[in-house]
Amino acid sequence: MISRRTFAALVTSVALVPTLTLAQDAPAPFDNPGEVNIALVRYLSTGDFFQAYLSGVEKQSAALGVNLQVFDSRQDAALQADMVDQAIALGVDGIIIQHGLTESMKEAAQRAVDAGIKVVAFDVNVENPAIPQIEQSDRDLARLALEAAIADNGTEWVAGYVYVPGIAPLDRRDETWKEVKAANPGINEVAMFGTLDNPIANSVANQARSVLSANPNIQVMFAPYDEFAKGVKIAVDEAGMSGQVSIYSADVSTADIQLMREPGSSWKATAATNPAVVGEVSVRALALLLAGENPGESVIVPPTLITQAMLNDLDIKNMEELGAKLPAFAHADVATAPWIALPPR
Amino acid sequence: MKSLSPTDLAIRYGFLLLMAGLIVVFSVLKPAFLSPQSAVFILQSVAITGILALGVTATLVVDGFDLSIGAVATSAMMLSAYVMVIWEMGAVTAVVLCLAMGAAVGLVNGLLIVKMRVPDLLATLGMMFLLVGLQRIPTQGNSISTGMVLPDGRTAGGAFAPEFLMLGRHRIDFILPDLVPLSVVVLIVIAIVTWVFLELTRHGRVMYAIGSNAQAAALAGINVARYRVLAYVISGVMASIGGILLSARLGRGDVASGNNLLLDSVAAALIGFAVLGAAKPNAFGTAIGALFVGILLQGLTMLNAPYYTQDFIKGAVLVVALVFTFALSGRAGRGRA
Amino acid sequence: MTSQAITIRGLTKAFGRNAVLRGVDLDLPAGRVTVLMGANGAGKSTLVKVLCGVHSADAGEVRLDGMPFAPAGPAAALRSGVVTVHQNINDGVVPDLDVASNLLLDALAEGGGLFLNRRRMRADARRIAAAVGLEIDVTRPVAGLSLADRQLVAIARAMAHRPRLLILDEPTSSLSLAEAQRLFALIDRLRAEGVAILYISHRMSDIRRLADRIVSMRDGQVSGLFEGPELDYSGAVRAMLGHEITEVDITIPPRGAVMLQARGLCLKPEARPFDLTLHKNEVVAITGLVGSGKSALASALFGLEAPISGEMRLDGMPFRPTNAGQAVAAGVFLAAKDRLINAVIPGFDIQQNLTLPFTARHSGPLSLIRRAAERAAAERAIAAMGVVCQGPRDGILTLSGGNQQKVVVGRWMAEASRLLILDEPFQGVDIQARRDIGRRIRASAAERATLVLCAEIDEALEVADRILVMSEHTIVGDHRNESIDLARLMAEVSGAADKTKEPA
Repeated sequence: MISRRTFAALVTSVALVPTLTLAQDAPAPFDNPGEVNIALVRYLSTGDFFQAYLSGVEKQSAALGVNLQVFDSRQDAALQADMVDQAIALGVDGIIIQHGLTESMKEAAQRAVDAGIKVVAFDVNVENPAIPQIEQSDRDLARLALEAAIADNGTEWVAGYVYVPGIAPLDRRDETWKEVKAANPGINEVAMFGTLDNPIANSVANQARSVLSANPNIQVMFAPYDEFAKGVKIAVDEAGMSGQVSIYSADVSTADIQLMREPGSSWKATAATNPAVVGEVSVRALALLLAGENPGESVIVPPTLITQAMLNDLDIKNMEELGAKLPAFAHADVATAPWIALPPR
Repeated sequence: MKSLSPTDLAIRYGFLLLMAGLIVVFSVLKPAFLSPQSAVFILQSVAITGILALGVTATLVVDGFDLSIGAVATSAMMLSAYVMVIWEMGAVTAVVLCLAMGAAVGLVNGLLIVKMRVPDLLATLGMMFLLVGLQRIPTQGNSISTGMVLPDGRTAGGAFAPEFLMLGRHRIDFILPDLVPLSVVVLIVIAIVTWVFLELTRHGRVMYAIGSNAQAAALAGINVARYRVLAYVISGVMASIGGILLSARLGRGDVASGNNLLLDSVAAALIGFAVLGAAKPNAFGTAIGALFVGILLQGLTMLNAPYYTQDFIKGAVLVVALVFTFALSGRAGRGRA
Repeated sequence: MTSQAITIRGLTKAFGRNAVLRGVDLDLPAGRVTVLMGANGAGKSTLVKVLCGVHSADAGEVRLDGMPFAPAGPAAALRSGVVTVHQNINDGVVPDLDVASNLLLDALAEGGGLFLNRRRMRADARRIAAAVGLEIDVTRPVAGLSLADRQLVAIARAMAHRPRLLILDEPTSSLSLAEAQRLFALIDRLRAEGVAILYISHRMSDIRRLADRIVSMRDGQVSGLFEGPELDYSGAVRAMLGHEITEVDITIPPRGAVMLQARGLCLKPEARPFDLTLHKNEVVAITGLVGSGKSALASALFGLEAPISGEMRLDGMPFRPTNAGQAVAAGVFLAAKDRLINAVIPGFDIQQNLTLPFTARHSGPLSLIRRAAERAAAERAIAAMGVVCQGPRDGILTLSGGNQQKVVVGRWMAEASRLLILDEPFQGVDIQARRDIGRRIRASAAERATLVLCAEIDEALEVADRILVMSEHTIVGDHRNESIDLARLMAEVSGAADKTKEPA
């Protein structure tokens, strides 16, 4: 069922691609996009996901022809709020707030709105009705991955679960895990572990090895974050249990694709939203807002399920090929308008 | 030997007893804990921090400190990936370049401290930041893996050499087939070499003299500056070996600051002060300290203890070890007066 | 007649079993400069610390202007009018603050008011600075001042308290001549204002310039008081150093070939160059006050600091070491003074301390130490030096001071050398250890030249074949250790030999 829906999305996307790039006459202020200045104010920036997100923001900004300025607070909540004020002072037209803490960003975002600046927020709730929320749906991510696990393994299995509480996206994925467990009493979670000590994959691998030797009967590892999944895969390989354990995860990167495609890999499927697409959607939502259109209170970027079989069948080796051969992954048909040019592919 | 008082015994063997006790407790609670695989795995989980910790020990011996080891390790990881994946060179080149990088960083650290008179913590802190940033520049902050698209649009054609990956993944038959990973062998060899170097050679002796009273060592005709630099070079090389093993285990170049590697290895070295009542940095103690942390984490994970309780217990062990150490040196102080 | 600002009676102070002050009686009259002389360990510093409130006395009485004076701490002493400028200038100033803040530091520390009135502070500071003749911008940070200006700031700060007693602890040790003159002028003014001044120094030129009275201390007691129109400087030095006729008989052996020859050696820019010849099978002692250049000579011979000029030859070959390692390799060894700072490795046991400079000689392939050879060498040295211990693996800090000293001196006698320099080898040891070490130095001297540096003349008399005297960084006397003219030796030590008539 999932694959059929994915296939449908794939077909429609392919059909849409040629028309999408044709931009119509744009409304103000995009009739003169060189005069439009937008700012990206970031809380998190290190790691593949955030690099890809930034590249999406950059590409969509370039396609629109607007000027982008990037502020990077490197996980300093107070600095991030100051950077919003800095952007206000620079007189930008729009601001994208990327991650952050509700407490520190709420008032800064309100100040920007009061200054007549259009604001969108990605993955941070600034509790402001004037500010659309861009979200990758963590619940959908977890749901897609777990549906794949159930499709492959049935509804009765022994599970290991990797989770670090207190991290908002992981908490949302955890809610879905709890729901799925409640709906399927045959799923027996025997171990929960997890750490964010970096390099995360190495630390998780150490933990997963202990878990596997304590619970050699585990069949499914649910690792809803690709760094976790990498660590679990290393441990499964080291324990020589690749034939027995299947890993389901969320998020994807070139390195993940390589690992999933290794012969006999225990990493069966991952559900992912393309971070670059999320970046593009963020810019488009802001553009709609600037042009006086309403992107909606919440803009959800739908995830895609990527299975080992898909990668092998389409011979996908990296993120670019994933985007090219799996168009549902390369583009999300949200926050679009005829006058918005899409980045070239 | 004269007989020891109960306090002396406690200080000397307390930590080893504690470790034995832990093994017993974990084995009772989880029988799987007491298996050759489990033992080997504990060694594997501490191989990287253990090697880094032995490097830190060398700098601690000369009364220095190296905050840059975590960053050196992750830089070596990125460098090895870059060499093989992007430059498409072989495993030997990757290993040699990583070791050279570690030695060069250690040399710069040493010269900053000895020649430029920058305090050790500040010099190595600066080096840490420098490396954390530098390792990200060539790939614009991206991790390195086979098939990645380079900033210029090309796709990286290289891959991790199988011989290189063996360093992290190959297992040697020992008791059971395919039991002992090469990284554990590397750890054991380095631990023994470091122990012999520090305890049995004159160079180690001289380094301890420098750490205890550098001025007196200089007046004994010892080239204090050269040995200080040597200590940082050792530390840098060890850290790069740790990074090579990390890279071979993960099979990619992962952007990471390595701060957790730094903290864990420093903890291991400090716990080592308490082993056998040494009250000073020593290779045997460092190895035991790393093992101790590994046993604890393995046991706790098997018992499904969440990660924050593990951090808590790691901290508690460190505090207890420091109490052992400083209770001991306090006693020595009183004995002197 | 002048009044007594301070009277001290029967003052004692001990640290553990170590009695440092053993009944000090001393008067310090107002309007007089009293110079206090004493060798290291005589108790000068402890006396100063009792007066300025750092230590409290065990027994005895101090009166200030007739009232009992027992300050609870430095701040209390300061309030009572006893101000001290310490040897280490940075004790008296806070380098990061500006001059004004430093001058008013004690007022600031006392509190009162939350905020600082900058303008009033500066005005007050300028007034205080002017009172001591200090002409600098009070807004400058002290860190940017010369040492002399810093010292004047420290004194000016002290003067803000209208002192009754000003204690100056070796104030000129780091000043140039001109800077010292400025300080002396200030001291003259304070003396005229009726302040009692206690001036601690070893510099004879300072003492001649300033002293109204000289007090010599030795072994925790006042060993001499000299006043009157003609001060007896040689007598003061003699009282300070002491020279009980030694019980050790020295038989001077025939000396061997020349081992070290130095020509035109100049150790300090203004010092007079000198020659030095040392022979095999000869123990030469160099005596002189603290700062007379003994340690500078040792540093030059051991490669720690290059001499200003001059050439040295060792066994006929040019010798110019640039570091300690080169000196040791050439066979020139130095047993440094102040063992806990310069010699003892506290983390090591006796054996490791003994073999430290020569680990290379006890190690085999791969630099592995040959344990048996090392232990044998350590046991030989322990036996030769008569170190009292349970075994070579005892920690060095478990030993008494005298035995520690035997270890760090024995370290350099365990291997053959061409020139052995011993800087204060009898420092902080009891009489028995001193005799043991001296006997060992003489017994092993046949194949090398030996140079012993010691401030105490009786130590030199006990150990040497020949005694040289240093003053102002040059050699001013050379005596064969047979029926020495002690009066002349003392005069040379005090730098008086070329200025006063030689006593008949």
